[in-house]
Amino acid sequence: MSGDRFSLAHGIGGAKDLPIPPELAILGAVAALIISFTVLAVAWRTPRYDESKTGHPAPGWLARVVDSTPFRVTLRVLGIVGFGYTATAAVFGQDLLTNPVFGIFYVWWWVGLVVLSVVFGPVWKAISPVRTINLAFARLSGSAPETGVFQYPARLGYWPAALGLFAFVWMELVYPFSTELGPVRLWCAIYVALMLLGGALFGSGFYERCDPFEVYSSLAAKLSVWGRRDGQLIVRSPLANLDTTRAVPGLLAVVSVLFGSTAFDSFKDSNFWVRYTQDSSTSTYLLNNLALLTFCAGVGLIFTIGCVATGVGPGTRRLELPDKFAHSIIPIVVGYIVAHYTTYLVEYGQQTLIQASDPFGDGSNLLGTGDLTVNYWLSFHPTFLAVLKVLAVVVGHVLGVIAAHERAIELLPKRHQLTGQLPLLLAMIAFTVGGLYLLFAA
Amino acid sequence: MRRTATVLTLLVCTLPLLAACGDDNTGSPPASADDSATVEITFSDGSVTPRGERVEVEVGEPIELVVKADEPGELHVHSSPEQELEYDAGTTTLKLTIKQPGVVDVESHDLEVVVVQLEVS
Repeated sequence: MSGDRFSLAHGIGGAKDLPIPPELAILGAVAALIISFTVLAVAWRTPRYDESKTGHPAPGWLARVVDSTPFRVTLRVLGIVGFGYTATAAVFGQDLLTNPVFGIFYVWWWVGLVVLSVVFGPVWKAISPVRTINLAFARLSGSAPETGVFQYPARLGYWPAALGLFAFVWMELVYPFSTELGPVRLWCAIYVALMLLGGALFGSGFYERCDPFEVYSSLAAKLSVWGRRDGQLIVRSPLANLDTTRAVPGLLAVVSVLFGSTAFDSFKDSNFWVRYTQDSSTSTYLLNNLALLTFCAGVGLIFTIGCVATGVGPGTRRLELPDKFAHSIIPIVVGYIVAHYTTYLVEYGQQTLIQASDPFGDGSNLLGTGDLTVNYWLSFHPTFLAVLKVLAVVVGHVLGVIAAHERAIELLPKRHQLTGQLPLLLAMIAFTVGGLYLLFAA
Repeated sequence: MRRTATVLTLLVCTLPLLAACGDDNTGSPPASADDSATVEITFSDGSVTPRGERVEVEVGEPIELVVKADEPGELHVHSSPEQELEYDAGTTTLKLTIKQPGVVDVESHDLEVVVVQLEVS
């Protein structure tokens, strides 16, 4: 039965989405172009998202509930229960594609977490089982969870998280045995071990910088309406929230991996790549490795050139700019995740919910979902899907352009504020046109 | 305020165009060269032709995979849900219908090669 999967060509999930019609792709690209230059021409010239002033306090009852101990404890318990259930299925379940672990790992965790974070804020921080375990150890040993043996070196920033995210996408997209239980189990075991070790060594601040899922979730949460000021829950516009993203070292690496990997995922399914890798005498594994690296590094490189090819004032160093502008890729990443993974999340996500009732493959129905059927409405409406994809990519692009514009106004000297934005604008247009082309050539 | 209004107006004007143009293209695939949806697959000496050719078919259209093989084997069809089709040595005609739109890969189980990509619309 283990010959069921051959991941050199496939991950999980059945049929893939149809390519979008060329007219829609072109229309999307043109809309992105027009709106970008309009924003550049007519948008504001003085910074408008002052972090200390944007947003207003959330309704009192909501703030009281969210900040209450029972609420926080419930979330932590939910995270641990989910972790325990998944771990049990991973250790005692069968190595078949019907094991819910694959759907939980590749769909609920990887895609679902992003959607939840955009709606509800930094979700992983609230439910992360590794944080909970670290907290429990700290309580048991009587120390504070925030303090560790060492101080986390600030220069490292998000780089470990970028590596962790790359390790995930490598596993998902390149590793030939990504749909076998052993490798998935091993990946998760290494993840948990490294996270617990890091938490013990550096304190819980380690998770904010090095837990790939916490970094991913918290960055996606910058597009939500939720924020905090002086510990108080506030509500503010996603653009204002996005502007509060700190320029931590490695931020560009993180968003490059996220965007590059999604673009590669799309590229990998194209008929061109399938035929090229099969006809080539070079191993598909090597080609996929090189392509994934090229996409991730390419995104970072194009963005860096777009950022540094600008005039700067005397106080600013050019090489600091990419990390300071990197937050503007976040909406582009989320738009592209929506475009590429919506059917996957909705349809394979339902399939996973059904499979979750039978974690050991013995015909049981533990959660009561075993008799449900998957609703394939999305797949039966390819036109709706195509419009949704193009809208998601274009809206993500527009939000990215606006975010970059705001940052340019803050950082660049007056005489370079418009012309200085052009290289970055062109880089973003290249990303969007490239993204739309990949959706068309799928 | 005026500038924000300008941008928003442009956005509002452009986005419905996306939806409107989308409707013109509901599920009418260009005429494929092979209207009867028959795909010929040949396995010999550990290789297969075609290798990743894309074939356009319609939802619910009966598809015939005519397999000429020197050894028995299996084709794995990545539809939702997935299907496995076995064939023997010699010529076998495998019948297949895909009931929902999407791109369905048909792979050779033994050679780990995508033989045909069915674009179902």
